[in-house]
Amino acid sequence: MNSFNSTTKSFKIPLLNDSVSAGFPSPADDYTEENIDLNEHLISNPFSTFFLRVKGDSMINAGIKDKDLIIVDKSLTAKPGNIIIAMIDGEFTIKRLSIKNDELYLKAENNNYPDFIFKNHIDVQIWGVVIYSIHSY
Amino acid sequence: MIISSLNAIALIDANNFYASCEQNINPNLRNKPVVILSNNDGCIIARSPEARALRIKMGTPYFQVKERLNKLDVAVLSSNYSLYGDMSRRLMNLLKNHCEQIEIYSIDEAFVSISRPNDKNLHPWARSMRSLIYQNLGISITVGIGENKVRAKIANKLAKNIDYSAGIFDLARTRNENNYLKRISVDKIWGVGRQTSNWLQSKGIKNAKELRDMEENEVIKKLGIVGKRLQLELKGYKCLPIEKKKKSKKEIQVSRSFGTPVTKLEDLTQALATHAIKASEKMRSQNLQSSNIRVFARTSKYSSQNYQRSAYRKLTNATDDTNNILKIVVELSKEIYNPEYKFSKAGVLMQDLTNNNYLQQSIINYKSQKDLKKSISLMRTIDLLNKRFNNNAITWAITKKPQIWKMNKNFLSRSSTTDIEQIPTIVK
Repeated sequence: MNSFNSTTKSFKIPLLNDSVSAGFPSPADDYTEENIDLNEHLISNPFSTFFLRVKGDSMINAGIKDKDLIIVDKSLTAKPGNIIIAMIDGEFTIKRLSIKNDELYLKAENNNYPDFIFKNHIDVQIWGVVIYSIHSY
Repeated sequence: MIISSLNAIALIDANNFYASCEQNINPNLRNKPVVILSNNDGCIIARSPEARALRIKMGTPYFQVKERLNKLDVAVLSSNYSLYGDMSRRLMNLLKNHCEQIEIYSIDEAFVSISRPNDKNLHPWARSMRSLIYQNLGISITVGIGENKVRAKIANKLAKNIDYSAGIFDLARTRNENNYLKRISVDKIWGVGRQTSNWLQSKGIKNAKELRDMEENEVIKKLGIVGKRLQLELKGYKCLPIEKKKKSKKEIQVSRSFGTPVTKLEDLTQALATHAIKASEKMRSQNLQSSNIRVFARTSKYSSQNYQRSAYRKLTNATDDTNNILKIVVELSKEIYNPEYKFSKAGVLMQDLTNNNYLQQSIINYKSQKDLKKSISLMRTIDLLNKRFNNNAITWAITKKPQIWKMNKNFLSRSSTTDIEQIPTIVK
């Protein structure tokens, strides 16, 4: 996962192998310049994209597990339904921005964790919107 | 006065840049007083607004205020240039996407050019830039707008000093320009150095308005074309263009202050070798080669000893090979070493740089073309591995002994945005 060190470095995975065993040029040579660049596919706003690491299982029902790599785009404006990163009481928190009775709140995707009601806290900032989580098996 | 030009110039800079970078990526620092220390944890070089409010002064030596900071619960951090460099790159690229031209002026400021809309009002654009940068990076910026660079700089100062400006000031569209120019003392004008400032003051010229209205011949006689240009810019003419392209580098320097003074040759050599490895790597990343390698060392400016020496080696063939460069630097370090002095700083300079794309490498330096190829591919492999597995996965043995001279960075925060091993953790 070192390929995600920075948003400008890219780690290219060749689609086809370019080694040729015989003396003839491969008929596929003309087609091998294509690479899958995960940065290109996962990240549309590289200058506002940051990486974070999840600790714990508070978002397990959303498929986000302990130690997962989280890709956050700060340029996006959070909408209800989005999974977001917030700065609350001096910590990074991951929750789903939700709405109930016209009131926004942050929902943990795990029944063992309480919901987070904005008006109960003074120091809250929605920091960015989660666009991907990457799990290593 | 010319105010007709449709193209305005803005000087955009980040407020409390270093402290903002730290506060954006560490929730624990949000809304808290934060100060950043200079290299070697010497003195305070940046403060968050909360620290400013506590009247902590810029430039204060850390040891003088250590206890007070502790009592006030101020977060103290060493400067973290991998973080600031990355945030600067993001900032400049975001600005670039929303302006016509950009000249990056320093790590946290840039001149940009932008066309005025039909109603001439650039406030909506400036407001959108401020909210864009704040949302994307958690950093607030100040936008000073003028007809040219000198006036954009002045506008930026006014934007910071005038409470109701909300971080935006347009000097080209203000009604009582004279009053505003009077608020800028001559020594604060961009391009006015100490000598010029002293001369102006002796002539009774105290502020930007008075310099603008000063007798032109007197300005030219004393300050020449540079002064003339400055005065014309103050009047609203455009003399200094936006410089889009970085000037090609004349030299690459890597130098550091020592954490503790160095007196042994062995330590000096090791420090210079470590800097040389870094400098060679920098050269290769920019496709440059050097044919003049220089090293220097000096004692502290504050000590009674005043010793400074440098030595250089000119090469027939420019090189970017760390092995070659290390051999030379190790020899040069013996030339500048003197056992009687305590060195406080040392560095290496790669000079007479050439672009290796155009270089006709003669084979005199190498036993054969094969050796040259080997050198190139070895360096390429090392750079690649270091890039992939982070810095110094592969390095030279000389750097591996204990580095007693290493700069103090006792309060360094993490490389939260550039190193996958150090990204922030979400706890809940």
